[in-house]
Amino acid sequence: MNIVDPITLAVVRGALETAQREMTLTLEKTSRSSVFNLAHDYSNALFDHLPEMILQGQDLPIHLGSLIPAMKCVAGFFGDEIAEGDVIYHNDPAYMGSHILDCCMYKPVFYKGELVFWTVCKGHLTDIGGPVPAGYNPDAKEIYAEGLRIPPVKLWAQGQRREDVINLLLTNMRARAYQEGDLNAQYGACSVGERHLIELLDRYGVDQVRACITELKDMADRHMRALLRDVPDGFYSGTAILEDSGHGLGELSITAQVEIRGDEAHVLIESPPQVPYFINSYAGNSISGVYLGLMMFAQVPPPYNEGLYRCVSVDLGPSGTLCNAQEPAPHVNCTTTPMETLADAVRLALEQAAPERVTASWGHASGINIAGHDPRNNNDEYVTMVLASVISGAGANKAMDGWPACGPLCCFGALTSGDIELLEYSYPVLIHRYSLMTDSGGAGEFRGGSGTRLELEPLKHAMTVVGFGEGRQLPTAGAAGAKNVLLEPKLGRLIHRHVDGEEDHYIQNTLLTAQPGERVINVNPGGGGYGDPLRRPLATVLADVRNGLVSIDGARLEYGVVIDGNGQLDEAATHAHRAAH
Amino acid sequence: MSKQQYRLGIDAGGTFTDFILADHQGNVQLFKAPSTPHDGTLAIRNGLAQIADALGRTPAEIIADCDLCINGTTVALNALIEKTGVKVGLLCTDGHEDSLEIRLGHKEDGHRYDATYPPAHMLVPRHLRRPIGGRIISDGSEFSPLDEAAIHAAIDYFREQQVQAVAISFVWSVRNPSHEQRAMAMVRAALPDVFVCSGHEVFPQIREYTRTSTTVVNAYLSPVMGRYIERIDALFEELGAQQPTRYFQSNGGLAPGVVMRERAVNAINSGPASAPQAGLCVAQPFGIDNVITVDMGGTSFDITLSKGGRTNFSKDSDFLRYRIGVPMIQVETLGAGGGSIAHLDDFGMLQVGPRSAGANPGPVCYGKGGVEPTVTDANLALGYLADGALLGGSIRLNRQAAIDAIRSKIAEPLGISVERAAVGIITLVNLSMVSGIRRVSIERGYDPRDFALIGAGGAAGMHVMRLAEEIGSKVVLIPKVASGLCAFGQILSDIRYDQLTTLPMRLDDEFVDLEQLNQALQQLRERGMTNLRDDGFGGDNRIECQYSLEIRYLGQIHECSVELSCDRLDRSSLAALRESFHQRHKALFSFSEPNSPVELVNLECSVIARLQRPPMPELATPLKATAAIPAGHRPMLFNAQDDWQDTPVYNGDRIEVGQIIQGPCVIEEATTNIVVPPGWRVSLDPSATYELTPGH
Repeated sequence: MNIVDPITLAVVRGALETAQREMTLTLEKTSRSSVFNLAHDYSNALFDHLPEMILQGQDLPIHLGSLIPAMKCVAGFFGDEIAEGDVIYHNDPAYMGSHILDCCMYKPVFYKGELVFWTVCKGHLTDIGGPVPAGYNPDAKEIYAEGLRIPPVKLWAQGQRREDVINLLLTNMRARAYQEGDLNAQYGACSVGERHLIELLDRYGVDQVRACITELKDMADRHMRALLRDVPDGFYSGTAILEDSGHGLGELSITAQVEIRGDEAHVLIESPPQVPYFINSYAGNSISGVYLGLMMFAQVPPPYNEGLYRCVSVDLGPSGTLCNAQEPAPHVNCTTTPMETLADAVRLALEQAAPERVTASWGHASGINIAGHDPRNNNDEYVTMVLASVISGAGANKAMDGWPACGPLCCFGALTSGDIELLEYSYPVLIHRYSLMTDSGGAGEFRGGSGTRLELEPLKHAMTVVGFGEGRQLPTAGAAGAKNVLLEPKLGRLIHRHVDGEEDHYIQNTLLTAQPGERVINVNPGGGGYGDPLRRPLATVLADVRNGLVSIDGARLEYGVVIDGNGQLDEAATHAHRAAH
Repeated sequence: MSKQQYRLGIDAGGTFTDFILADHQGNVQLFKAPSTPHDGTLAIRNGLAQIADALGRTPAEIIADCDLCINGTTVALNALIEKTGVKVGLLCTDGHEDSLEIRLGHKEDGHRYDATYPPAHMLVPRHLRRPIGGRIISDGSEFSPLDEAAIHAAIDYFREQQVQAVAISFVWSVRNPSHEQRAMAMVRAALPDVFVCSGHEVFPQIREYTRTSTTVVNAYLSPVMGRYIERIDALFEELGAQQPTRYFQSNGGLAPGVVMRERAVNAINSGPASAPQAGLCVAQPFGIDNVITVDMGGTSFDITLSKGGRTNFSKDSDFLRYRIGVPMIQVETLGAGGGSIAHLDDFGMLQVGPRSAGANPGPVCYGKGGVEPTVTDANLALGYLADGALLGGSIRLNRQAAIDAIRSKIAEPLGISVERAAVGIITLVNLSMVSGIRRVSIERGYDPRDFALIGAGGAAGMHVMRLAEEIGSKVVLIPKVASGLCAFGQILSDIRYDQLTTLPMRLDDEFVDLEQLNQALQQLRERGMTNLRDDGFGGDNRIECQYSLEIRYLGQIHECSVELSCDRLDRSSLAALRESFHQRHKALFSFSEPNSPVELVNLECSVIARLQRPPMPELATPLKATAAIPAGHRPMLFNAQDDWQDTPVYNGDRIEVGQIIQGPCVIEEATTNIVVPPGWRVSLDPSATYELTPGH
């Protein structure tokens, strides 16, 4: 029975969203690294005293699920030892963190002596120590070789900043000033969130606000249950292939078994034993993958809170498997690979359950980190993930083409590539190209979104480049009869072009050094197509050709549309070609 | 005001063109004429004829006696909404031809998991975005020379494609515009009839995507704006205007046609941007400075919010999904107006809007050929408007036609009564307006209960009390000139030019170049002053320069805007500036880093010539209070489940200051009807504004 006044409920909901949005704004405006301030590789959330998540913004799906168990883990670690003015920090996957670069700050919000809320801010620091700048170490056989693990630790205790602890953390990181600036920004975000929440409590009191929050979580629960009720009961299964990104063990597969019973779902993940390569996923990160697959089916509008998942139970499979990794498995690549593969497996299973909601896959992340010393700035060390490099194409569906340059799957459009001028101002690089690629979108009646090509040149210094991800061997999966003929342009790549024009092409994770005059070219895959490409209207194919998104060869080979040397449609040949298939 | 008698504001809306004529006695008169979208001058001529009739003088005499004629227009906005701008070609840096389409790789919040939300519309398709070799880098130096052959080839293609405007936007042109300048000269020489604009002029600040997008929107709209301005300017010149017509910009200031025709992007929200200053002016006599202005005309519903007398600007933000850099007053616009069409959707459910009958054919009751029932038809059917009333001087409302249309299109297919159908139409349109108000208030952390609602536009008086009930506002203010509130806001405006530039520079004592900084400030001021002088201001006007410096900690990407209180910086004012940055950072973000180096990025200078405002109305308060006497009664329906009530109707001209009238009732003003529902009461303030409050 709803006893909450609907206007107050709306105001409380709005105030929570405002608090969360202001946290995001604070992080974006005050942080130092481009990963935070340009790319939005962070998530902010609010928890109640339980602690259950009461609001997550429209941030990264990577962080969507892991915050829920991580918050409980962190609060449980300190138990009763949580005081007003404390600020807790944490990144360790053994405590439900995602990967060690994602450092998370938790600030308990006290009101009249009582813990009422937590403001939580998780973001990708550009470095976390370890042997390879930016943390992606393809040679790591154990998590200990990847970087600094931070179990839950207090950075502020009862309002006192613990300089010794903060110094311990920062001493272990490269480009310390950047990491310190980002840590301050996280503190700012948590404090701004706290300020808004206290204003809300001043206005409506703890009881009324709590009643509203309970109702908001119940509303989300009712929503998800209603969606599941519409799906026929049964067992559904989906399997996605994980390509060999450099471990040498060949292709691996991840299977999701989804059982729907009434208005509840149970998800069981089956994956191979963990491997001595950085693509293992600990539980927190795997839960994010499962929830993302679920959201691709549910397509729920905001607000997002823990109520959504009340009717979903998850079993990640036996301990020590790829999707339920244990110490000492290395894991840093997990937020993209295998998280995206895992999300695809869940989505494929749900496709069987609700085919009318099918959407083709989005391109997986295939990107680079860069590091070096900035000659424009006292040779200060810089290190960053280049988020523009991971932006892939989105999958098509039964209503429309996939969005161009909107991925990768694990970020689902939440990431931003960053303005070219801001990137060049911040780092000593020249961005020669950041554009869409011809024939990169999966062929289909509805075409997959185009992927991107980024070309970088280091200016007056040698630059370390670390390639990571997948999508460089298998094209993004289409749906409903989509079929690719030109595979090459649909795959990701890392290319090192030397001064003489010679190119090294990499389809597995790589570490290299680029010199001035050389180019580092990162290609990201397009999205999957939907439906039979031969049914794509002629005028649409012609427009794609005119706009250079489909080549003349692509039009003929993939869409059966024949275009002559003058760019004119050859109707007779086209009809013959399409009829023959 | 100087020697002249009048100031004239003309707001060309989607349905009506409003005219506010203020004289120096404190008389503020409102006139209306139906808009004529194909040629805006027709509506203006019609309006001037009405004014001439009312004053017993010729239009030329009146115009010659105006110190300023001001025009707010939706020409640019409509062209952007209806996608009727011109065909644009873009010259951009080779390798960056897709920044417009990549849109920073982001999908808008609110649609994260929505699979059917479409990508944004491209004003310039990919084949008209031509990559040009040549590269400037971040320090302003040339990395590779401009590829003029590529420009020639692009020009040939543009000619063949018959583009009508060319936008030029190169990476880092903001640090070194030479490539853009050369490209502009080449395009101008080769395509003399084509409109050309470039990034470093339209939005001279760092951020390539924002600048390119702003430049493209400007190219797309300016020729349309130019054609409109040409006609309007010619009309006023012909009438003997003392001054060139001033056009209202989205930043709340005025500019002449010669400026506006080059910068249509500065006027995309020209109309509604004057609402906040009008709303604050209306609320001032009541001691209120928290206002939400809701302007409901024929086609749209515009919401603005001012708190503590200040209105928010947006900058570098998405407008109709196009990234716009230049600063503009924040307006939330919905497709909900008196002309919004009620219809049954594919599922047979009643929907209202966003399609509008506009001014032509207009609602069914206008008798101009409209056949689909609208919100105005429902208001007429429920008795809120009078059968046979004269609207805008020429349109006579036909209630039976409205009822028939509601019956045949809505009530009969749904199997309900006409009354229920009409109430349903009103309920639905109110619902969408309430959610719009929530978006600007609750969702930005403001409680609408702390704000007065200002009703504006011809249709708001019939809806605004219901909206106030829904959001909990305790006071509604409706000025007698409500239906022309934006035109009223325009005559209160100043001349304003925003000058922007980028000057990255560390502000620590050892790195700062004060001379260069002061020179940049001076250049901005002079550019603004030149604009003002070209515009005929400077001598007897109060000139104000407002500087704001966008500053950040070294290594941050985003800036905080800090206002500068002097024209020149020295060591001590620089220290004060750094200090105000630390304070602002702390106020906004809860912390500051007083020991970290601080960096300047952008400079902005708004040069404002304060115009003397016309005096405001001051109605006489009668010595002896009397009860208001209704002019008549007519049946009205306030709830579908209630009975028709014989409701008093008051003539607004006869209501005196101090009289308190209890709802339900209707107050009929010449251009607006105020429906006071049961449970509300109304009184008239000396400032010619009705104050409505809940209670008995």
